[in-house]
Amino acid sequence: MQALLQLTAANIRSFVRDRAALFWTLAFPLIFIIMFGAIFSGGGDPTRTYGWVDLDGSARSAELRAAFASVEDVELIDASQDESLEAMRAGDLRAVLVVPEGYGEAIDALVTAPGAPTSIAVYTDPTQTNATADTYRIVSGVLDGVSLAISGRGPAIVPEARALQTQDLGFVSYLVPSILGMALMQLGVFSAIPLVADREKLILKRLNATPLRRWQLVGSNVIMRLIIAVAQTVIIVGVGAVLFDVQIAGNLLLVGGFVLLGSLGFIALGYVIASFARTEDAANGMTSVVQFPLMFLSGTFFPIDQMPAALQGVARAMPLTYLADALRQTMVGGAAFSPLWVCAAVLVGFLGVCLLISARFFRWQ
Amino acid sequence: MPGMTTADAPDTNALGADAVISVADLRKTYGQTHAVDGVSFEVGRGEVFGLLGPNGAGKTTTVEILEGLRSPDSGVATVLGLDVRRHADALKARIGVALQTAALYPKLTVVEVLDLFRSFYGRGRTAAELIDLLDLGEKRTTRTQDLSGGQRQRLAVALALVNDPELIFLDEPTTGMDPAARRSLWDIVESLRRDGRTVLLTTHYMEEAEVLCDRIAIMDHGRILETGTVTELVTRRFRERSVRFDRVDALDDTRLQSFPGVSSVKHEDGEVVLFTADVPATIAALLSAVDVLGAEPENLMIRRATLEDVFLDLTGRALRD
Repeated sequence: MQALLQLTAANIRSFVRDRAALFWTLAFPLIFIIMFGAIFSGGGDPTRTYGWVDLDGSARSAELRAAFASVEDVELIDASQDESLEAMRAGDLRAVLVVPEGYGEAIDALVTAPGAPTSIAVYTDPTQTNATADTYRIVSGVLDGVSLAISGRGPAIVPEARALQTQDLGFVSYLVPSILGMALMQLGVFSAIPLVADREKLILKRLNATPLRRWQLVGSNVIMRLIIAVAQTVIIVGVGAVLFDVQIAGNLLLVGGFVLLGSLGFIALGYVIASFARTEDAANGMTSVVQFPLMFLSGTFFPIDQMPAALQGVARAMPLTYLADALRQTMVGGAAFSPLWVCAAVLVGFLGVCLLISARFFRWQ
Repeated sequence: MPGMTTADAPDTNALGADAVISVADLRKTYGQTHAVDGVSFEVGRGEVFGLLGPNGAGKTTTVEILEGLRSPDSGVATVLGLDVRRHADALKARIGVALQTAALYPKLTVVEVLDLFRSFYGRGRTAAELIDLLDLGEKRTTRTQDLSGGQRQRLAVALALVNDPELIFLDEPTTGMDPAARRSLWDIVESLRRDGRTVLLTTHYMEEAEVLCDRIAIMDHGRILETGTVTELVTRRFRERSVRFDRVDALDDTRLQSFPGVSSVKHEDGEVVLFTADVPATIAALLSAVDVLGAEPENLMIRRATLEDVFLDLTGRALRD
């Protein structure tokens, strides 16, 4: 146990003192997030297109509609509740406002005698924090004005918040889990380089001349990488949350499970590379050959369904596609490219294949 | 010194139960190369034993089999009473190893590497003790990538001592060192001997083997050609000494051959070498002969045969080649 801990500490020290490794695993993904985030988050989606669902059909509800329609930039699309929510889910509407049945009567009652305020339902996507905040600003402004006109006192109409997850993630919300997936991939794949270097420098051979067991050696490497994976996750998610308001909406256990599973799979891929690379230079070359297609053809920077059909087929063959897909689904409620269980199955299979290959071909000396 | 032999035969089984290392007919083949081709020897407790031979002689392969790093194709190797094939793990806990190349984590400091290796054994000597012993005090917080060649080698030896082993393997410990660093490593081996530890070292430096080793096995092409103390190895082959001087043109070989005691005459790089059983008589005859010519023998030297001569005689090649 002491040996495992000491070796893990030694690995972490070696890693932290290696500027190139630090850059690729920690700085590089952050640069991506900050760069793309700055480019795409500022403008955002300016259109205030709301679905308008009038279940009351009264003069009062028509009055409210007119109040919303008079706000600058606001466009209202009338449709049934189901149609509207479907359109919002598909990304065509930023929010859906539902005027409940009996709204007119409730307002009429409030005009004659004070009472509890009535409400309208406001559907927004809480993962799109900027858009949601903007919607509530508009809604509050309109409702306050109308309330004042009706009762002259306190609020007569209040918004009732409803959450609806949409498939149309803000670009930064899309980017954060994608970059996390990419970072975990790189962390794993790059494990090949120190491994081959240690073998080339005969460190593995020297360790083999001590009572240290191989499982301790592999275990310490994996533990070290997983600790860094957690650090990466915290940093990337933290920067997304602090700088770009990307909130983690999903189940943390599920997110953690996919981070773990993905990291293990790509660390195993690192061992596969180390099985075939004889020199540190060769390992460097092979990691590049492996990581760049994974990075660019796995939907990291743009959604897979926007790729040409031929490349979509390639993307389906990339394990990173499934990790990034699972992370988007579990972290920010992204649209499923594959169901979660398929993602999990692909990643488990990928891990298994990599383990088999390295067990067969990895050389200690 | 234990295990003296009188005949030319390799001294297997001379040590019996006292042997710390016992090797019988060890073989290891890589493709067409017989790296180790029937090696047998024994090392007694407290001995400093040297495997001497040129690069590629099979020294490292032999040592790595004994360290449990490679398994032999055939033959028996017992180290500290343990069969290296079956009990490699138990063996590794009790031996100290310095590989031919100092294999060190480049980004860790001297102290960190020592603490790390100590943790593998769960016991042993502290980093502070070893740093003191190997005179690495000034470098204790230096990363190993910034150490000089000699310092790296000293650290490698320190790592070989971290578990306080009774048997230490040093593979070419002074290769690439400057004379001062080599001298200081020799002192360390001397101190190991004083502690009563057993040391098996390989070297292709004749002088190193002569200075450090109680007994030497001369290796070439995967075989041990001869085993014994330096004196045994030399006197077994060379009862005579050599008298050397710069060539004097007027003295031809017939004349030289006629000097008392001289058995043979050789020429080496403008030097005349007389092999003689009676050094005073030969020199007296030489001095009077050159005196008559009105000359002096330049660079006159009397030399006992060396391991170099032994190796040359055994293989027909110089060890340095």
